[in-house]
Amino acid sequence: MISNMSFIERIFYILQKYGTSYLKGAGTTLVIALVSTFIGCIIGFLSGIIQTIPVDKKRDPLIKRVLLGIVNVILRIYIEVFRGTPMIVQAVFIYYGLAQVCNVQLGMWQAAFLVVSINTGAYMAESVRGGIISVDPGQMEGAKAIGMTHVQAMVNVILPQAFRNILPQIGNNLIINIKDTSVLSVISVVDLFFVHKSVSGALYTYFESATIVMAIYLTMTLITSRLLRLWEKKMDGGDNYELVDVMDIGSQLGKKESR
Amino acid sequence: MNQEQIVSENKTQENSILEVSHLEKSFGTHSVLKDISFRVHPGDVVSVIGASGSGKSTMLRCINLLEVPDGGSILYHGEDITARKMDVPAYRARVGMVFQSFNLFSNMTVLENCMVGQIKVAKKSKEEAKEKALRFLDKVGMSAYVNAKPRQLSGGQKQRVAIARALAMEPEILLFDEPTSALDPQMVGEVLEVMTALAKEGLTMIVVTHEMAFARDISSHVLFMADGVICEEGTPKQIFEQPKEEATKEFLARFRNML
Repeated sequence: MISNMSFIERIFYILQKYGTSYLKGAGTTLVIALVSTFIGCIIGFLSGIIQTIPVDKKRDPLIKRVLLGIVNVILRIYIEVFRGTPMIVQAVFIYYGLAQVCNVQLGMWQAAFLVVSINTGAYMAESVRGGIISVDPGQMEGAKAIGMTHVQAMVNVILPQAFRNILPQIGNNLIINIKDTSVLSVISVVDLFFVHKSVSGALYTYFESATIVMAIYLTMTLITSRLLRLWEKKMDGGDNYELVDVMDIGSQLGKKESR
Repeated sequence: MNQEQIVSENKTQENSILEVSHLEKSFGTHSVLKDISFRVHPGDVVSVIGASGSGKSTMLRCINLLEVPDGGSILYHGEDITARKMDVPAYRARVGMVFQSFNLFSNMTVLENCMVGQIKVAKKSKEEAKEKALRFLDKVGMSAYVNAKPRQLSGGQKQRVAIARALAMEPEILLFDEPTSALDPQMVGEVLEVMTALAKEGLTMIVVTHEMAFARDISSHVLFMADGVICEEGTPKQIFEQPKEEATKEFLARFRNML
C-alpha cells in the first residue's frame, strides 16, 4: 500500500497511475499560456499603438481628438484595473460575473483564454508603449523626412524596433503565464495544478505530487526561455556582413541601362 | 556655359521653390525664430551659418514641418505648407532632409534604407527601387555595403548612406542639418566631398553648417543667423570678404585661421 512506500516509490507509483493526467494538464497549461500570451500581445500592441498616436492641435479635427481622448481614458482604466488586481480574483470575477449578470456560461477554454489574455494584455500594453517610446525619436523623424505617414513609419520603422526591444518582456510574460495559469483551477480549468490537486487529494501525497509538478513546470519554463533566447539571437542577425563586389553592381546597373 | 551661368539664368526664368516669410517659432516663452524671410530658387545652394543656438536648425526643421511654425508662412511653389489642407507627407517626400545624427533605420540594411521610401511612399516597384538605390549608393561610394546594418558603419559612412536615402526619393530640394557636426574630423571630408559633387550637379540645397570653407566655396548664397534673425545675407564673397554687420565680422573672426 502507498503508505508503506518510500518517497521515490510513491513518485513512480503516482506517475504510473496518473502520468497521462499530468501530461494532459501540462499540455493544457502550455496551450493556455501560449494562446493567451499571443492574444495578450495583440491587445498590448493595439493599445500601445493607440496610446502613442500623436495629436496635432492645429491640424487634427476635433472629432478625432475627442474620440482619441475617450479611447485613451478607457485604455488607462483597463490597464490600471487589470494590472492592479490579482488574476485569481479576476478569474472568479469574470467567470461568475458573466454567468450571473449576462447569463453567459463560459466553457473551460473560453474562460481560461479570456482571463489570461485580458490580464496579459494590460501588462503588454504598458510594455509596448514603453517599447515604442524608447525607440530613438530620430527614427520617426527620418521616416517622416522621406514622406512616410505616421502609420507607415510605425509599421516599417518603429514597431519592428519596438518589438525587438520588448521581446524579452514578451518572453517574461509567457513564462509568468505558464506558471500563473495555475490560479485558473479556482474556476475549474483542468490545468497542471488542477491535476496536482486532484491527485494529491485522492492519495494524500501532497509532497510527492508537488515534486512532480515542480519538475514539469520547470522543464516547460526552461525550454521556453531557451527557445526565446534563440529567437532573439536570430532577430539580431550576425555581426558580420559581406562586402559586395563593386564591379558586380556596376555591371548590374550597366545591364539595366542597356535594356 | 558653366554651372553658375545656368543657375543664374534659371533664377530669372523660374519662380522660387521656397519662400519663407516672417517665420516665427518659440518654445514656451523662449522665442527661437523672429521674423525670418528668404527665398530659395532652383539650383541655389544656401548655406546657413551662425553660432549654436541662433535658430539655424530650428529654421530648417520648420521648413520640413518637423517643427510647426508659430507665425509667418512658408510657401512651396506658392502653396502654404502650414495650411490645414496641405498634404504634409507628400510635401516631405519632395523635400529631403539629412540629419546631424543620420537617423538611418536601424532595423534595415543599407539597401533597404534606400528602398523603403521609394516603395512605400513613392509606390515604385521593388526592382525599380533597388536599381535607383544602388545607383545613389554608388554615387556616395557606399554600394559595397548594401548588406550592412547601420550599426556596423562608421559615422561618415552612415551619413553618406543617409544622403543616398534622401536622394533616392529624387527630392526637389535637400535640407542638410549640420551633416558633419557629429563626425570625426577625418570623416568630415568624405561627406563634404559628396555634398560638393551634388552642389556642382545643380541640386538645390539648404545647408546648416559650421564648415566655413564649404559655405564660402560651394554655396551660392549665405545666410548668417544670430539670435533668431537673419543678421546678414549675400553671396559668399559679400559675407566672407566684406561683411557689413559687426556680429558677422565677430563670428567670422573665430574661423579666420581655418579659412
